[in-house]
Amino acid sequence: MQNRFSKKLKIAIYDFTDCEGCEVKLVSIKERLVHLADRFNIVNWRLGQEKIKDGPYAAAIIEGTPVTQDEIDLLRELREKSKLIISLGACASIAGIPGIMNKSERKKWYAKIYGANYKPKGIDALPLSAYVKVNHMIHGCPVDEDELVRTLEELLSGKTPRYRRYSVCLECKLAGNQCRLLHKKICFGPITQGGCKAICISGGSPCYGCFGVREEANIPALVKILRRFASEKEINNHVTMFFNQIPEYKNVFKQALKNYKK
Amino acid sequence: MTTAPLQINLNGFLNELKKKFVVIDCRKNILAPKQYLFPAQETAFNFDIKKSRLKTLPPIKPFILFGLPLRDLEAITRLDEIMSRPNKNYYYFRRRSKTTIIGLTDEQFNIPPGGDLILQKLSPKDFAVMPVTAKGTVLIKKMALARPSKNIPASQYAENKTMPKLRLLLQDAEMLKDAVAWSWKNYPQIWDELAKICLGCGICAYVCPLCHCFSTEDSMDIAGKSCKRCQNWAACTLPEFSRVAGGHNFHKTLKERYYNWFYHKFARSYEEFGEPQCVACGRCQAACPARIDIEKILINITQKYKIANRA
Repeated sequence: MQNRFSKKLKIAIYDFTDCEGCEVKLVSIKERLVHLADRFNIVNWRLGQEKIKDGPYAAAIIEGTPVTQDEIDLLRELREKSKLIISLGACASIAGIPGIMNKSERKKWYAKIYGANYKPKGIDALPLSAYVKVNHMIHGCPVDEDELVRTLEELLSGKTPRYRRYSVCLECKLAGNQCRLLHKKICFGPITQGGCKAICISGGSPCYGCFGVREEANIPALVKILRRFASEKEINNHVTMFFNQIPEYKNVFKQALKNYKK
Repeated sequence: MTTAPLQINLNGFLNELKKKFVVIDCRKNILAPKQYLFPAQETAFNFDIKKSRLKTLPPIKPFILFGLPLRDLEAITRLDEIMSRPNKNYYYFRRRSKTTIIGLTDEQFNIPPGGDLILQKLSPKDFAVMPVTAKGTVLIKKMALARPSKNIPASQYAENKTMPKLRLLLQDAEMLKDAVAWSWKNYPQIWDELAKICLGCGICAYVCPLCHCFSTEDSMDIAGKSCKRCQNWAACTLPEFSRVAGGHNFHKTLKERYYNWFYHKFARSYEEFGEPQCVACGRCQAACPARIDIEKILINITQKYKIANRA
């Protein structure tokens, strides 16, 4: 796509509804951001600078979940104008935390919190891929700095950015952790894409799978293991933290839970 | 030997050792000691783009691996051989040549399975010192704490209770090879069953003291000034393992990939090295999140094989 002799790639950075934590991660790469700013032509980054330029863009990096019609329109417009759409973080990639939203109880809470006359603007919290074609997803809640830099570096080198195709278990073993599953604790590490350095498990928390489902993950096998010590409700509570809106949950995980027999 | 055997106090010895050398105590590790000789991420080279030149790798400083059980010593002896063929693996031996290995055991043995020095338990605190290589002899000479043993108590040797049946199977390596290779076509049920419960996470390969497959990854630094080639641990249960450029995958299913883990260890390895690539250390079985009983599987396969091939 580009080599070091050609013009800088124009990259637009946008955010939809989210906590902006992944953009903070982008800022926190410090001197590496200086190199990025030097090698890319970064535009439209509301949080980072004031340069506003129209498309076409070599890539639009988008954080957050589109939850209003305006955001969805903007997303479609960006798709038209950009060669690549790259999602930044779990919200954009797999709907993440906003995707937990429980639609069935929404009306009740609108009335309770905002009053009877409130007209809601928000619609579903779905990943970017529900509306447009996404070329690559930078996973994580928040994203991992090294993985973020690696992806952008691969773009600069003219490669198609690659996913980490191993499970969290590799980095978890390297971190010297005991296996949570063997200690009868919920963990989605084996079906989750690596790259996070197993930071949650090392800190004593389960892996909730914020890096998304690893390719060809054996979800029914994991469900079988989880059901040996956890109830369906407990597992659902954990898995819907990030997976509520992804097809692997809706089509495979739920089914496996349903089909489970002791 | 003209000199009396030496004995040491374990903690005193270890403390003294740590004062003089870089010591890695392996006793509580989840991963096998191969991680220090064949690390999960090994930089093969750095290339300076401006100078158009390879940068030299930082030198490896000598270090001691401490506390390896006999089977891990055996594994490193095998790994040395694996890494020597067809050519010496530069990266492995770069580290290996700087390593001194100290074994620690309460088992009895006739021939030392590897390492440079073995400490054999006499009592909870006292250990007999047995140099295996010249490196080990030199090391013990540098240590003031070792003293000639006076009355070596009649030791109560312990028995290694890890995978005893697999240990026996490994002794009949040719039959094990035939049985595993036979099972793919003649006993597919077992592989169908395993593919249903195996998570494909790759832990069995990561914790194995002998699994040595790696993948290669090239990357540039973000400043665009240098590039790097890395060798990263691979696991045959992962779909990327058998995928080649262009997208073709030689092992499309988890069933094929999990079988490959057994096939490489117990069949292909016998063809190539005359030995299975397994020392029955028990790590794969202990670390498998799906609790797959690898020893049981191999017993099952060999039994079925023997019944089917009875004349």
